[in-house]
Amino acid sequence: MASIDIKNVRKDFGPVSVLKGVDLAIASGEFAVLVGPSGCGKSTLLRLIAGLEDASSGEIHIGGRRVDDLPPRDRDIAMVFQSYALYPHMNVRDNMGYSLRLKRTPQARIAEIVGRAGAKLGLEALGERKPRELSGGQRQRVAMGRAIVRNPKAFLFDEPLSNLDARMREQMRFEIRKLHRDLGATSVYVTHDQIEAMTMADRIVAMNAGIIQQVGTPLELYDDPANVFVAGFIGSPAMNFLSGEARRGETGVALSVGGKAFCTLSQAVAVPEDGRVTIGIRPERIRIGVGAGQVVEAAADLVETTGAASVVHVDLAGQAMKIFTTERLQLTQGQRIPLAIDAKDVCLFDPAGGGRLR
Amino acid sequence: MFEPYLYSAPALLLVAATTLVPIVIGISYAFRNIMLLDPTSGGFVGLDNFRELLRDASFWNALKNTVVWTASCVGFQFLFGLILALMLNRPFPGRALIQATIFLPWAIPTFLVGMNWSWLLNPAIGPLPHWAYALGLMNAPDNILSDPDYALWGPIFAGIWWGTPFFAITLLAALQSIPREIYEAAEIDGAGGLERFRSITLPFLAPTMVITVLLRTIWVANSPELIVVMTKGGPADASQIVASYVFTQAYQGLNFGYASAVATALVLLLLIYAFLLIAIRQAMLGRR
Ligand SMILES: Nc1ncnc2c1ncn2[C@@H]1O[C@H](COP(=O)(O)OP(=O)(O)O)[C@@H](O)[C@H]1O
Ligand SMILES: [Mg+2]
Repeated sequence: MASIDIKNVRKDFGPVSVLKGVDLAIASGEFAVLVGPSGCGKSTLLRLIAGLEDASSGEIHIGGRRVDDLPPRDRDIAMVFQSYALYPHMNVRDNMGYSLRLKRTPQARIAEIVGRAGAKLGLEALGERKPRELSGGQRQRVAMGRAIVRNPKAFLFDEPLSNLDARMREQMRFEIRKLHRDLGATSVYVTHDQIEAMTMADRIVAMNAGIIQQVGTPLELYDDPANVFVAGFIGSPAMNFLSGEARRGETGVALSVGGKAFCTLSQAVAVPEDGRVTIGIRPERIRIGVGAGQVVEAAADLVETTGAASVVHVDLAGQAMKIFTTERLQLTQGQRIPLAIDAKDVCLFDPAGGGRLR
Repeated sequence: MFEPYLYSAPALLLVAATTLVPIVIGISYAFRNIMLLDPTSGGFVGLDNFRELLRDASFWNALKNTVVWTASCVGFQFLFGLILALMLNRPFPGRALIQATIFLPWAIPTFLVGMNWSWLLNPAIGPLPHWAYALGLMNAPDNILSDPDYALWGPIFAGIWWGTPFFAITLLAALQSIPREIYEAAEIDGAGGLERFRSITLPFLAPTMVITVLLRTIWVANSPELIVVMTKGGPADASQIVASYVFTQAYQGLNFGYASAVATALVLLLLIYAFLLIAIRQAMLGRR
C-alpha cells in the first residue's frame, strides 16, 4: 500500500499536448476513479504512473519515493489492461505466476500464491486453460489474478470492463470493489463510464482535455459540480442546461428563461454583467405538478419509459429539457404541464467559461 | 450412388488435366532413353536411369552441395531477415525510406542478381575481392567463383542478399501483429528485453517461422538460376546442386531421360522433407 503523488505533470506527443499540468494526490488504500470522455488523456496519465510512458515534465511519487526514472518493473505496481493482455501461449496458471517466476520464487511458493489468488477469483478449475479457451469474464479475472499475485503497492486499471457485456460488467464492478475492500490496496481505475465512476470510487477525478476538472467523492461531484463539464458528464440522464437571464432583485436573484420567470435564488450569486447565465438542473429534481417552489409551464414532447422510471422530454420556451420521474404518466404531445422547481436544486454557470457561479 | 462423384467430376478432371498430367508425363521420361540429338532413342529402359544415378558421383556431389546451398541460403536469409525485421519493428526517423530500400533486392530478377554478383566478385571489374584482400580475408584478390573450394559460396552470397527481404517482410508483418500491451504487461511483470523476446516474440513468430522456412527451403533447393548464371555449376561441377545438374544434363548433355530421373529424385527428396516437417508441425500442434 502506498500513496501516489503527481505533481504538475505534463505530457506532449510531439506538438500535441495531452496532459496540461496535472496535480493529484491519491491517499494510501484509496480507490480513485479517473473518469472523462475518450481521448482526454486518462490512459496517458495511468501509463505515466506505470512507467510505460515518460512525462515531459513534472514529478511522480509512489509511496513517497520519486519514480520518474524507474522502469515499470521497479515501481512495484500492477496493471490491468482493457484488452487483458494475457500471454496467449501460457495457460492460466503460468499467466498468473509469470511475475513470480521472473523473481525466481520457488515453485511450491508460486503454486501456493497462484492457488490462493485463483480461489479468490473462482479460477480453480481453469488453471490448465489457455486464454483463448476462456470467456471474456474469465479472461478479465485472470488479468486481475495476475495483478493480485504480485501483491503490489498499487493497482492500475485501464477500462478493465469495457469489453464485457452489461450484466457481466455490473457483476465485475461489484467484485472489484469487494476485492479492494479485502486487499485495501491503493487503486487507480480509469473509465469513460460515469456509472462505473459513481458506483466504484472513493474519490472521482474528473478529467477533460488533459486537465483535471474536479476531484471529490461521487456525491460531491454529483451535487456540487465545479463546472458545466462535470455537471454534464456525471449523472444519467444528464443535467439539463438552459440559457437564461439572471437579474438581482429584492428577494434574491431572479432567473428567467425566454423571458418567463423560472425561479428565484435566495442565496447571493455572482452574476455576470450582462445577466446571461447557463441554468443547470438535474432531471430528477424537477417535479411535474404544482409544488412548494416556483411553477413553470412547459409543453410535453415525448415520454421514454424503462418500466421502473420514465424520462419526459419537454419544451420550455423553445429549449429542450428532460424530466426523470417514477410516476407513470400519459401525456400527449403539446400538452401543457406545470413544473415545480426548487431553487436549491439549481446550479448556475458562466456561459462563456463554463465555470460555476457561486 | 455415383451421383456425388458426378458433381465433383468436372473439378477433379480439371485438376487432373492441369496438375497431374504434366507431372506424370515428366516422370515417364525418367524411364525412357531420350537423347535429344539421337532420333533412334526414346525407348523404354525401365530403371536403368536410376541405376546409373546411384553410381553417378556427380549426382552425389550435387546432392551434398544442395544441402550446403539450401541450408546456408535459408539459414542466413532467415537470420538476417529476423534481425532486420526486429530493427524495423521499432519507430525511428526515416524508417519508411530504409524499409523500402531494404526490400528492394526482392524486386530484382534473379538473373540480374546473378550477373551483378558475378561482376562484384570478379577482381577485374568488381571491388569485393580487393576489399576482402585488404581486410586479410583472402591471400590474393582472386575470383572465388573459379576456386573449386569456394565457388558455391558466390551464389550463396547472392542468394542471401536476394532472399533476406522475403524473411524480413514476412517476419515484420508477424511482429506487427503482436499487441503492444502484451509486451507492456510483461515489462510490468518484470521481464527484461531478452526475456520478452523469449517468452512473447518467439512463441508469436513460431508459426510464421516454420511455414516460411519450410516454403523457402523447397523454393531455394529448387532454384538453380543463380548457380547457372554465376558458375554454370563449375569449376568441374564443384558448385553443382541437383537442380542445376538437371539443367546441365538436359541442355549440355542433352540427355533428357537422365535429367528427368535426376529431377524425379529431387522431387522425391523434397516430398519426404515436406512430409517430415508437416508431421513435426502436427505433433507440435497436438502437444499444445
Ligand atoms: N503514443 C502516442 N502518440 C501520439 N498521440 C498519442 C499517443 N498516445 C495517446 N495519444 C493521444 O493522446 C490523447 C489522449 O489519449 P489517451 O490517454 O489514450 O486518452 P483516453 O485514455 O482518455 O481515451 C489522444 O488524443 C491520443 O490520440
Ligand atoms: Mg484510454
